[in-house]
Amino acid sequence: MGGVTSTVIAQRDFHPLRRTQLARYRNSLWLLTRRDLKVRYSTSMLGYFWSILDPLIMAAIYWFVFTQVFERPARTEPYVVFLLAALLPWVWFNSAISDCTKAFLKDAKLVRSTMIPRSIWVTKLILHKGIEFLLSLPVLALFVIFTGAQVRWQIVYFLVAMGLQTVLMVGVGLIVAPLVVFFGDLERAFKLVLRFMFYASPVVYGTTNLPPQLHGWAALNPLSGIFELYRAAFFPNQVNLYDVVVAATISVILLVVGFWFFRASERQVLKDI
Amino acid sequence: MDHYAIEVSGLGIRFRRNRLGRLSFKDLLAGRRRRTRPDQFWALRDVSFKVKPGESIGVVGRNGQGKSTLLKLVAGVLIADEGKVRVNGGVAPLIELTGGFVDDLSVRDNVYLTAGLHGMSRAVIDARFDDVIDFAEIRDFIDTPYKHLSSGMKVRVAFAVIAQLEEPILLVDEVLAVGDKVFRDKCYDRIAELLASGRTMFFVSHNEHDLRRFCTRGLYLDGGALVFDGPIDEVLERYNEGIEA
Repeated sequence: MGGVTSTVIAQRDFHPLRRTQLARYRNSLWLLTRRDLKVRYSTSMLGYFWSILDPLIMAAIYWFVFTQVFERPARTEPYVVFLLAALLPWVWFNSAISDCTKAFLKDAKLVRSTMIPRSIWVTKLILHKGIEFLLSLPVLALFVIFTGAQVRWQIVYFLVAMGLQTVLMVGVGLIVAPLVVFFGDLERAFKLVLRFMFYASPVVYGTTNLPPQLHGWAALNPLSGIFELYRAAFFPNQVNLYDVVVAATISVILLVVGFWFFRASERQVLKDI
Repeated sequence: MDHYAIEVSGLGIRFRRNRLGRLSFKDLLAGRRRRTRPDQFWALRDVSFKVKPGESIGVVGRNGQGKSTLLKLVAGVLIADEGKVRVNGGVAPLIELTGGFVDDLSVRDNVYLTAGLHGMSRAVIDARFDDVIDFAEIRDFIDTPYKHLSSGMKVRVAFAVIAQLEEPILLVDEVLAVGDKVFRDKCYDRIAELLASGRTMFFVSHNEHDLRRFCTRGLYLDGGALVFDGPIDEVLERYNEGIEA
């Protein structure tokens, strides 16, 4: 009778603990991400099209406003490509971070009953929205083909940008998710901040279009450097090394702070949900 | 090598009295050794005990005396403010049974999801899937969205999944009060079977009959403290005296 138990424990001891933990983390992360994608796509008929419809409509509106009504910002031809190259990553950022405000509350019952590493409740959202981001990239590709925009070798920066953005979002998400559990009002506050961030980030314009005295401030927004990298394949003159270095530094700092804050607040989060 | 399945020493956890109680950043980040504030109370304090593999423990106490909290600390879904919980081996928690199930997904998807989150590999789930479905008597509804099941069926599926876990420690929190009599008997038979195969069990219940049937040892919690630890019959006697007094 005791034999059964001890063999189970012994088997566990044979595995290098860290590897099995990592494997379990990955497994749970993937299960929950797939669950979210499945729920999203199985409950609506249009499914996949919703993930591209949203950015498409937004792109159409901004294209109209900034090429037909107002004068287009300088050196942004073709504007649709210029816009989408930053708008699609913005949609990723925006949707994942606003979901992070509900990370614990939406799955409260599951958080209360399953022993999985708690950071998964944040990382799965970023992965889920990241997959939707990848699925929306064909839209950008189509417009690149239609407009005959030139694609340069700097397209490799696209991957660097995705890496940086992931680091940034995990950091921000780990801070946002516990805060909303403690202070419910923050959910709305973060919505406002995100709306502000949209206009404070180079999505409809480029950092080069800003008046010089604002450039220092713009660089402090890590999204500036990241969006410049996304655009590099089509608009290499947008990339400003200083902006990119600042973006990378701030992203890493936020990630470290995020992990520290998350660990420190975990105990209280579990009590409050 | 450790001889205990569960070791709890000096365990304490405190909660805020009301959710709107002011919480400052200082509180949040001051770590575990901050002083107790007036708007906080200890749900459990100074609780220590050890459980050997294969033992089955009944936790007894009136409502709100920390029984479920203790179970959650052992399950690792709450983190203690004081003391330590050491659990050697995995845990199969029958807590908030249907919590992990998603309304919009089918029974099949839900079984894979929940079993996976509790650490079962895909191959193992594939192999046990039929057992789960048969146990829950739900073969005709495998592809039905979970939300369309009756509440009895929901609990049946949930129990069937957790009961398939190979983990050496079983935590049961009053979940079996639901479901019809036939299924309840089936659940009890399954629990008895698991116990016979050497599992360690931690059982929270108000039902004396169940406690006597499954448990050999009891823990009596009162006011967040462990007031008595002994054979289940004695524990129940003490508990009944406590109520009458």
